[in-house]
Amino acid sequence: MVINGVVIEDTFSEAFTMRATRIIITAINYKWARHAAETMTGFATSVIGCNVEAGIERVVGNHETPDGRPGISVLLFATDKNTLEKQLQKRVGQCVLTCPTTAVFSGMEGDDQIALGKNLRYFGDGYQTSKKIGNKRFWRIPVMDGEFVCEETTGYQKAIGGGNILVLARHISQALLACEAAIDSISMLPNIIMPFPGGGVRSGSKVGSKYKFLHASTNHPFCPTLKGHADNVLGKNIESAMEIVIDGLTKEDVILAMHRGIEAICDLGKSQGIETITGGNYGGKLGPHHFHLRDIMNESFNRYI
Amino acid sequence: MSHSTVTYKGAVEQRIDMRWLTEVMVAPIRNDDINERKLSIGNDQIEIGELFEIPGNFSNSHVVLENTTTKMDYVGAGLLGGFQVTANGDVGHYAGASLSGGNVKINGNTQDFTACGMSNGFLEVTGSVGDYIGSAYAGDKAGMSGGTVLVHKDANNFTGDLMRRGTIMVVGNIGDYCGSRMIAGTITNLGTIGKQVGVGMRRGTILLPHKPKDVITGFHDCGRHSLGYLTLLLHELRRYESTFQSLHPMRRRVQRYQGDAAVSGQGEMLIWIG
Repeated sequence: MVINGVVIEDTFSEAFTMRATRIIITAINYKWARHAAETMTGFATSVIGCNVEAGIERVVGNHETPDGRPGISVLLFATDKNTLEKQLQKRVGQCVLTCPTTAVFSGMEGDDQIALGKNLRYFGDGYQTSKKIGNKRFWRIPVMDGEFVCEETTGYQKAIGGGNILVLARHISQALLACEAAIDSISMLPNIIMPFPGGGVRSGSKVGSKYKFLHASTNHPFCPTLKGHADNVLGKNIESAMEIVIDGLTKEDVILAMHRGIEAICDLGKSQGIETITGGNYGGKLGPHHFHLRDIMNESFNRYI
Repeated sequence: MSHSTVTYKGAVEQRIDMRWLTEVMVAPIRNDDINERKLSIGNDQIEIGELFEIPGNFSNSHVVLENTTTKMDYVGAGLLGGFQVTANGDVGHYAGASLSGGNVKINGNTQDFTACGMSNGFLEVTGSVGDYIGSAYAGDKAGMSGGTVLVHKDANNFTGDLMRRGTIMVVGNIGDYCGSRMIAGTITNLGTIGKQVGVGMRRGTILLPHKPKDVITGFHDCGRHSLGYLTLLLHELRRYESTFQSLHPMRRRVQRYQGDAAVSGQGEMLIWIG
């Protein structure tokens, strides 16, 4: 398949099942809500080293937030419920509770719940009070700028982590330009985050390593400086490969994000130095979800859009 | 929604325990059996059919009580979720007591111990209520533990005595000893309030439009604040059709008093300002 001169390889991106939650951080204005959201989603690029993958999903208008203030929606993904719960509490405790004027609320409904303010309340040292409003319980913790309000629990659900697109270009600046176009397009979508810095990854990894203590190592078949090696897959004119990693709440969300991303890259076309789009295919070793690039770009998949 | 109308025939002078209505609603029985069922009235046993007109096609999900009197106690008491009782007229004591779901509407006034021991659901009184609304049964350690009570006129003394959870909304005035011995929960009104507000209050919130004439010595002035959680509370209060809907959800500037220091002193009395 060739779109605008860009070859879409006949392969699939491999992804795995995760557990995800959403929280809404509100504050006196967007500036402080964003400070809290950016801090709590820092060092959350990959479950390999950070235990959790997190990112800002979108800005939430004050007419949508529970307390009528400007808000930011944050998604967190982890491999299991317990890790997700631990990381959520640590990050909200250190990054949101500490940030002036913030409050935090559940952004996901459902029977499956994990603790949000349930344990943070102990910071109140006995001065905390709970309020059950409707069917939800909130905690009010006295802090130096007034009160920190947080919902007791938030919902979580099964989700998909590790959906990806690999862009192969003639020059590093062209690969970067393509990634930026895709990231801008994908970031408009709900239920999706791109957890790596700015949404792009330059150190894509493969499963396993020659070293026994490592579970993942550099994706050497895609490293341009190793082009002379037999198992390198890059063509002669490729000088840079970059990856966009996508975590989504459902399979459909990931498919839509990949479609939008590939579309944005193909809009630039071969004339901008974009040669090939491929996916992180590890032969089924990474996870059960296989997103076939050509299927995603076929008309039949437009029903997701 | 279809409903059954149960009409009181006005046959007795004594008080009538209306818990039979909840029993036949929750565990439906045949129409003839309802009529033949006996009620203790004074020192006598009288068949329900002699006191009430039960429709032939008795539908248990929503019952409308007509020709009520202030001698009817326990109207809607113990009702479960999914059921509804509407009383057209004044009723007696313990209306909506032990309500654990469902919806009870009294189109009139109620007497004492309304919503006593209530744990869930919604109780609406279009008139006024007597003493001890949302309180505990005599001898119990805790009162109302959930749900919402909306009173469109006034509430008398000891509103929310020993109340543990839930919300009491009073559009009109509240009498003396509001929130006495309150364990937690929320009481709010839009009118005036009497003496000794929050005496013995441990936790919970009393939200008022005007400062009471005497703030008891166990309450300490904690200053003026904009409390974010009030927006959450106001959204909840505005869900119900009443004068509370006129409150803007962003109205959250209050004077905060904390008490009663004579007990654990974690309760709060909030007075709207601005």
